[in-house]
Amino acid sequence: MVVAEASTIEAAITGAVAAGTIYLLAATGEVLTERSGILNLGLEGIMMMGASASFIFTLCFNHLAGIVASMIIGALMALLLAFFSVTLRLNQVVTGLALTMFGTGLSGFICAPEVRSSIVRTINPAVPEEVALLNQAPRLLEVPIPILKDLPIVGRAFFTHNLIVYASIIFAVSMWVLLFKTKWGLSIRSVGENPAMADALGVNVYRIRYLSTMIGGALGGLAGAYIFLGYQPFWVEQITRGRGFIALALVILAAWSPLRAILVAYLFGGVEAFQYRVPLLGLGAQTPQFVLMLPYAVTILTLIFLSFSKVKRRISAPAALGTPYTREE
Amino acid sequence: MSIKIKLYKYYLVIEKRYEASIFYNVLITLIAVAASFIIAGLIFEILGFSSIQIYGMIVNTFTSLGLMHETLLRSTPLILAALGLSIAFRMNFWNIGAEGQLYMGAFATTGVVLLHVYYGLIHPEFLLLVMLIVSFIVGSAWCLFPAFLKTKLGANEIITTLMMNYIAILFVNYLIYGPWRDPQGYGFPLSVNFPAYARPSLPFMSRGMLMLLWSLITASLVFFMFRYTLPGFEIRIVGRNPEAAKYAGLNVSSTIMLGSFLSGGLSGIAGMITVTTLIGRLTPDVSPGYGYMAIIVAYLAGLNPLLIIPAGILFGGLLTAGDAMQYALSMPKTGAQVLQALIFLFTLLGEFVRRYGISIVRSVDSNGRS
Repeated sequence: MVVAEASTIEAAITGAVAAGTIYLLAATGEVLTERSGILNLGLEGIMMMGASASFIFTLCFNHLAGIVASMIIGALMALLLAFFSVTLRLNQVVTGLALTMFGTGLSGFICAPEVRSSIVRTINPAVPEEVALLNQAPRLLEVPIPILKDLPIVGRAFFTHNLIVYASIIFAVSMWVLLFKTKWGLSIRSVGENPAMADALGVNVYRIRYLSTMIGGALGGLAGAYIFLGYQPFWVEQITRGRGFIALALVILAAWSPLRAILVAYLFGGVEAFQYRVPLLGLGAQTPQFVLMLPYAVTILTLIFLSFSKVKRRISAPAALGTPYTREE
Repeated sequence: MSIKIKLYKYYLVIEKRYEASIFYNVLITLIAVAASFIIAGLIFEILGFSSIQIYGMIVNTFTSLGLMHETLLRSTPLILAALGLSIAFRMNFWNIGAEGQLYMGAFATTGVVLLHVYYGLIHPEFLLLVMLIVSFIVGSAWCLFPAFLKTKLGANEIITTLMMNYIAILFVNYLIYGPWRDPQGYGFPLSVNFPAYARPSLPFMSRGMLMLLWSLITASLVFFMFRYTLPGFEIRIVGRNPEAAKYAGLNVSSTIMLGSFLSGGLSGIAGMITVTTLIGRLTPDVSPGYGYMAIIVAYLAGLNPLLIIPAGILFGGLLTAGDAMQYALSMPKTGAQVLQALIFLFTLLGEFVRRYGISIVRSVDSNGRS
């Protein structure tokens, strides 16, 4: 009996980590972006484009090409956002929404079977048409880490995943080091808190905001690639299903810290993994819709929780988040 | 503030401007739309579709009478939802939840019809009126919840309204795959067909014209509210300067609640129009994203209720053309969405041009020589 319970817990944590990696990648990038004062509401669209880029380039060449392409497309879309919100100083909410709509539309367009097949076969004519038309691509393989994988409970849960999962943890930790332990991090945070002051001290506000947004976008693209290559083995339109927006809420819950983002991401991953376990418990088999509502409902509850004044006092957003910077001349 | 960029003998001067003329405003919008058509044409051309054919089909949508009827029908939910959003956006209340509010309006309408069809409640004469009221209330309730969280707790409404969309869509899906599925529907996820008297029509007018009239009346009401009523004034002030509004003794919270009530309600009515006039039954995909497109429509019209009508008709036409392209050119249905999103991006660029005039000035050195 005890053995069965242990394996259930193990499976639950494994699922939470697998699903949580999507959120972790997206949130790590978004923490950086928001720390520099830019709100990237286009994250959902960026993830969507990342997923489609990974699909197309994995079909054309291999996983590595897919992953690199997803990060490049993510960075490029973020560059567009940065141009609109940093240089043109347009409203970041509206710009982000526009980018999300663009990403969603274009991703659905280029991944529709016929269009996808013609793109893939233009880039690499050697790919057989029936492969390009399938709504599937080879999955990333799991790479269990020797020794560590044999640890009780956490061993299987954390060390039997594909490489993106491990990379996401490394990214989050190094992002924390970058933000809080280096001079660059100090500059980035100062730009997000008080850009005028940072500017006066000789920090290039625009450059930092551009770079932070683009790196955040690359990680968002990678999150999209992970959904398709590592998490969900088949392609559907709207593959991200609002996870980009959930990641935005998660950044607040993590209080803009990449380390806390790890914990929070796995928590949300747990909620998502729980969805797929509910039918196994014999509940909601006829009405999966209510179970599918869970991540969204939990996100709303999280935002409510974060709004209570006791909690609010303990976390504070970057002071200049969402406000464009104009140098007075 | 002005920025001067030197280009050989000339300066490119970017200067903040305060008020642009209406002519200039409309011109910028038209250029933005034209530019997005060109870029979209390029994208489609690269992806292997003939842009000439695509442009042709879009033009055809606005010139053929039959397609124009379809366009008017499809533009109505867009216009109504966009009118609602124009209220919310003017208060700087970022209601991204029109889609969910529309779904809830469709749900409420269908609920009323089913009460009538299954249980014989509600006299047929009053059916439309009851549907109108109920869809308004349910739609607005879906918007009032995030508004309540915003005003009472300060919870970010962008994310809450968005999350409510997903919940509403799943909820309607549950109903249509579950208890509300037509028992005689051969297992398809559809509700019963609405009876003819539950679908608005007038004897001397086509449905498309009736819907256009409906949009015109609603737009005029919203316009009138903004311009001549106290709540309308308060809504505008809250958006422009919440601090001043508070200082002047205005209750910002209740204004936001009122505005959200109207905003969600109009999207709810958009949902009612969709199920009664466009589809005639509840289906899982009630809306192809009207609620999201309405955001673009509202922005394209510069949040002006009267300009929302032409903007909505343009987008209704793009939807109709999108369907035609799907059949004739076997183009994915998200093609129309790409074009619409580009229009959104270019409208925002236009916003920049509008706020900052760009002029080219011949460089003059200190001696006055050019």
